[in-house]
Amino acid sequence: MRNIFTIFRKEFFRVMSDRRLVFTAIILPGLAIYIMYTFIGTAIGGEVEDIVEHKMIIYTENMPTDFQNFVYAQNINPEFHDYDPNNHEEIEEQILIGEVDMIIIFSETFEDDIDNLVISEIFIYFNPGEKYSNYAYGQMTNVISTYGTIIGLDRHGDSYYAFMVDSGIIMDEEKAAGQGFAMLLPMLIIMFLFSGAMSIGPDSIAGENERGTIATLLITPVKRSEIAIGKVLSLTAVSMMSATSSFIGIMFSLPNLMGGAGAELDVFIYGVGDITILFSVLLATVLVIVGLVSVLSAYAKTIKEAGMLIMPFYFVSIGLGISSMFSGEASSELWVYFMPIYSSVNLIIAVLTFDISLTAYLITIGTSLIYVTIFVFILTRLFQSEKIMFQK
Amino acid sequence: MNTLEVKNLKKTFKLSKKQQKIERTDTKLKVAVNDLSFTAYPGEIFGLLGPNGAGKTTCLRAISTLIKPDSGDIFVGETSVVTDPESVRGKIGFLTSELKLEDHFTPNYLYIYFSRLHGIEDEVIEERKDAFFERFGIAEFREVKVGDLSTGMKQKVSIAISLVHNPDYIIFDEPTNGLDVLTARSVMDYLIELKEAGKTVILSTHILSVVDKLCDRVGIIINGKMKLCDTLENVLKTDPNNNLEEIFFELVKEDELLGGAY
Repeated sequence: MRNIFTIFRKEFFRVMSDRRLVFTAIILPGLAIYIMYTFIGTAIGGEVEDIVEHKMIIYTENMPTDFQNFVYAQNINPEFHDYDPNNHEEIEEQILIGEVDMIIIFSETFEDDIDNLVISEIFIYFNPGEKYSNYAYGQMTNVISTYGTIIGLDRHGDSYYAFMVDSGIIMDEEKAAGQGFAMLLPMLIIMFLFSGAMSIGPDSIAGENERGTIATLLITPVKRSEIAIGKVLSLTAVSMMSATSSFIGIMFSLPNLMGGAGAELDVFIYGVGDITILFSVLLATVLVIVGLVSVLSAYAKTIKEAGMLIMPFYFVSIGLGISSMFSGEASSELWVYFMPIYSSVNLIIAVLTFDISLTAYLITIGTSLIYVTIFVFILTRLFQSEKIMFQK
Repeated sequence: MNTLEVKNLKKTFKLSKKQQKIERTDTKLKVAVNDLSFTAYPGEIFGLLGPNGAGKTTCLRAISTLIKPDSGDIFVGETSVVTDPESVRGKIGFLTSELKLEDHFTPNYLYIYFSRLHGIEDEVIEERKDAFFERFGIAEFREVKVGDLSTGMKQKVSIAISLVHNPDYIIFDEPTNGLDVLTARSVMDYLIELKEAGKTVILSTHILSVVDKLCDRVGIIINGKMKLCDTLENVLKTDPNNNLEEIFFELVKEDELLGGAY
């Protein structure tokens, strides 16, 4: 019993007497969870707010004024436009790309039908693949249903079924499938890339320092920058292999997984071009991640400490990946593509939803290369620092 | 000429609060080596002696460019460790227990790896490797992982790897530590061979019998300062019995009286 206590005391003291360990083992987990959950909460809140605040754009035909007033009375203020059947294709195209939310076509004899107890038909076109259109559909069908009940009671003293709603779905099947991938993959990809780098980076740098083997390398005439670049590149290669393996696994298992859930996802919607672009984005991302992991590993005294230092960055990156789950579409703000990891998340979504912009792509690749250069520079300085390399 | 000249080397380290308490001092800096100067010549073995913590390792780390001097300089031939550390690293062979080999790799792999880092041609690598592995009995263990080798064999492999580039300057820090008598003997014999081949050898040790047997010139460091530096012959003359151990103890005692740590 005494031995157990002695060992306990030593191990406990080991942690408590090391300020870095106290911070990373005790304070950081709570802090990381708080930041991550706050971030997720803000992301969900922001997304909902964005959809609710969006002004619906609806094309209507034969809409009764009474109905229009009823809609306004519900505090829903859509932008109503007159529908012209001659422009149907054009409007449909706009619905497809998300510029128009829906078309509502009432029967020419709508009012008479209600008075004569004839069930009238309301036809709605919408795009479930677009978040605004999908939300508008939900809102408007609710309003129509409530309106039906009210006019039934008003005009006939009974809540009878005054009309029926029929819907036409206007959707780009591939883009919708792409959005399915875009909701799931960015977070998984970032996780895989990080896990790959985390599984080898700390051992390759902090481990070498801990075991004393890095000093053997440091007394060769090789430049510190060459050591840094060599390490980063080899870690990148292994991380890429690890991520590719995970990626292939997930791409092929997703259809089964989603199929089981009643949805359909087909990986073969992507062409060689899409996969090539995706691969280049992953490579740029893994370079940034490996650079970061390498710098933290060089700064750490031990593999264990390196793991703990990397953890908060891992959480934040997963948080950024999770943020994509709520929007399902890439950000159109250019500043986003200057942010490491977050730019990758958005670009991965853009590739998966066939919505890639050349400017965003070039900014992401360019800034990733700049970030990795900065990391290599810092790593070189750390290798040159006798305090870092020979601290005990 | 292939001399290795340490000129007025000074190196200080920051003390943590705990270290300040132990050393019973308010000063935040610890002077590890203070105005240290000596010269090692080709075809000679220079023995660097001193008790633990005297500053030997700091001095050797500075020569090997792992740490930078606060002031002073070290010239390896014509090359300064301050202005051209990379060239210095290409000229010296450095062995210390701090430099470890990765357990996962074999002597064969590591020898080739470090040779390539020194920019040596493949043909020369093979020639040198075969000769060295044969000379030290490593040949039959060439494909055994370093982690599975005995302490003595690991030390031999470390020596081989420190000399892959056939350097003119050789700095060995306690090369016989932890070795059995036979292995220690083979290492000492090899140092004599290197000296006879005209290499400039610096040997740091606290085993005085090794100094007696091997060194031509001796420097005794105590508390970061060079207390005595001369040929072994002249150093021994300072004691009536020519006893190096007595001379060493006298110097330590003298330093204690002057307020040193020992």
